[in-house]
Amino acid sequence: MSNNVMSEIKKDYLYHLVMTDERADGRSFDQYREISLETGVIKKADGSARVRLGNTQVLVGVKIQPGEPYSDSPDRGVIITNAELVPLASPNFEPGPPNEYGIELARLVDRGVRESKSIDLDALCIVPGQKVWILFIDIHILDDCGNIMDASSLGAIAALMTAKVPAEQYGLGEDWPLPVRDIPVATTVVEFGGVLMSDPDTDEETAADTKLTVITTTDGFVCGMQKRGPGPLSMDNIYRIVDISCEKAKEIREKFLDV
Amino acid sequence: MDRIDRRVVIPGELLAEDPKKAGEGTYVKDDKVYSQLYGLVNHRDKISVIPLAGKYVPSVGDTVIGIVGDITVSNWIIDINSPYEGLLHISEYPKRIERNEMAKYLRIGSSIMIRVKDVDSTKKVELTLNDRRLGTLNTGRVVEISYTRVPRVIGKGGSMISMLKKELNCNMFVGQNGRIWVNGSDEDMDLVLKTILIIEKEAHTTGLTDRIMDFLRTEKEARS
Amino acid sequence: MDEKLSFFKDGIRLDGRRPGELRPVKIEAGVLKRADGSCYIEMGGNKVIAAVYGPREVHPRHLQKVSRAIVRYRYNMASFSVEERKRPGPDRRSHEVSKVSREALEPVILTHYFPRSVIDIFVEILQADAGTRTAGINAASVALADAGVPMKCLVSSCAAGKVDGQIILDPMKDEDNFGEGDMPLAMTPDGEVTLLQADGRFTVEETREALETARKGCEQIYEIQKKALIDRYSRLEEPEEEGSNV
Repeated sequence: MSNNVMSEIKKDYLYHLVMTDERADGRSFDQYREISLETGVIKKADGSARVRLGNTQVLVGVKIQPGEPYSDSPDRGVIITNAELVPLASPNFEPGPPNEYGIELARLVDRGVRESKSIDLDALCIVPGQKVWILFIDIHILDDCGNIMDASSLGAIAALMTAKVPAEQYGLGEDWPLPVRDIPVATTVVEFGGVLMSDPDTDEETAADTKLTVITTTDGFVCGMQKRGPGPLSMDNIYRIVDISCEKAKEIREKFLDV
Repeated sequence: MDRIDRRVVIPGELLAEDPKKAGEGTYVKDDKVYSQLYGLVNHRDKISVIPLAGKYVPSVGDTVIGIVGDITVSNWIIDINSPYEGLLHISEYPKRIERNEMAKYLRIGSSIMIRVKDVDSTKKVELTLNDRRLGTLNTGRVVEISYTRVPRVIGKGGSMISMLKKELNCNMFVGQNGRIWVNGSDEDMDLVLKTILIIEKEAHTTGLTDRIMDFLRTEKEARS
Repeated sequence: MDEKLSFFKDGIRLDGRRPGELRPVKIEAGVLKRADGSCYIEMGGNKVIAAVYGPREVHPRHLQKVSRAIVRYRYNMASFSVEERKRPGPDRRSHEVSKVSREALEPVILTHYFPRSVIDIFVEILQADAGTRTAGINAASVALADAGVPMKCLVSSCAAGKVDGQIILDPMKDEDNFGEGDMPLAMTPDGEVTLLQADGRFTVEETREALETARKGCEQIYEIQKKALIDRYSRLEEPEEEGSNV
């Protein structure tokens, strides 16, 4: 978060590490922290996933309910994504309605799911123009130790892949698994001291001015990108980050999301 | 002022290849000098950029016109037409006064001619009244213009302001912060204020002093 | 919508442009009296006005930074700016647009000259026609210069898109709504990227092509921004007619 104050000494130390080709926790520059993924952790939810990315922890719950479609897409289901940066997760989070960081996070996760056409919205129509399935993707940050973006995106798709449409509960036939057609994965890289680092931890996020998140689809398309933070990026670094991201996303997808 | 080459530049425009030439309103990157402002290039020993707009930032020694905005335990808080308010500590008042009488000497709303005594790196501004030439402005009027136009109102070597004072029989003081105090007969003050606004508007045109002179003569003839 | 809708006829787009062509851009600096700096821009059918206030005192005070000015950016769509009336006030989209737009300008503003102050940028979308955020950034950048804010340089912004599998510059409404991708970019004249977003489907190769395309658009817009500021000065320069008062 931007309101994190970092001591000069610490920043110098991080620079020094970069100069000697190191990261504070011993990772290589493109290495992710250890990822663990658990699905079905919340029984009340129709789909859920808990992601640990190093010490970062995120819980994503998916709720599916019948509701009214949007007037401009009367026969398609609806996706609503929300993120709560609850004060329990970081001294920098405050209670209250989502701030711009929370909104950006939710919208980026949403963009990945939507733009990859991961969910077949047409299949979520119940009565055209009247009733469709509404998919609520709720992201709950539990412990922000850096890169909650990638953890949230991973949690969201994992929760969706294991979600069931609760038709029975609403008298609409039998429950059925939510069809997921694509597996978008977001990967984030920061530039700091002239090098590019994947999966930044809190200190690296604070020291770096800027991050680039790239979301890719299973077949290697870029379906979302966002530069975040007040620093600039060169065109060359953007190209390099896109390449790194494609590769990392593939690794993560194969390791954690191959059903 | 007549050495302005009048070329208008925008932020980021290359001004010179020699970093030693970098003056006010410029910055150096990779040994080249660029403008950091939208303004007019001024070539002297160094290249500087004269802003066309912007906010007054106080520096030590500036004499400005302030307005008392608030009174605290031991400070008057003074609006100095800047993003930063000024603090006038009770000890900087020219005579010894008690804390409970502060409002008696400088009321909220009083206009004062005041000097910038100190500015720290966070732009905390300390002011002083400890000089015989400083003090409260009880008569006359104050007009506010952009601080960037102050040099034009003063003129080269004070030429413009001397002319105004002489032609219009007014007492005048131009604060670095763009506030100008005028004192004289109502008729003369009206004309001075009108003239100042013209100077502000046409600040960067050539032959300004002559045009203002003509304007004043015409106005005065119409009056008599 | 008709997915097979063709976006080209003989290599020309539906609005008559070539793939790498911008819509007409018109920029005027200094259009508001009260603001410290302002700018009006038309980019295609977008009509956007930007105002800058400050540096000025920060309220609430706890937002102050002791070593620099903070920058605030408020992107706001007029309720009549779009086909169907938009509910007034900020929504989630405008929060996000405001954030990334602020971050697009922050790298060039020399904020350390004005500790403990704020530079407020207000952008009002009066008429929207795809590309409002890029139009807003272009206008805001000129308005900052017009306000006399010290900056490293201007920032220029425009988007690339993808329709019928082809990369195009500056998508208009239909190309944005029914195309395969949109990639807004903002950059400095020396090529530092300060805003980058994308949605849609781009191969890695297309991503590069889109970035290059958008870069060329930014370069053209930069020249128009520059001209707007120089023209503003020549307007200032013209003396009032004889005898007229302020």
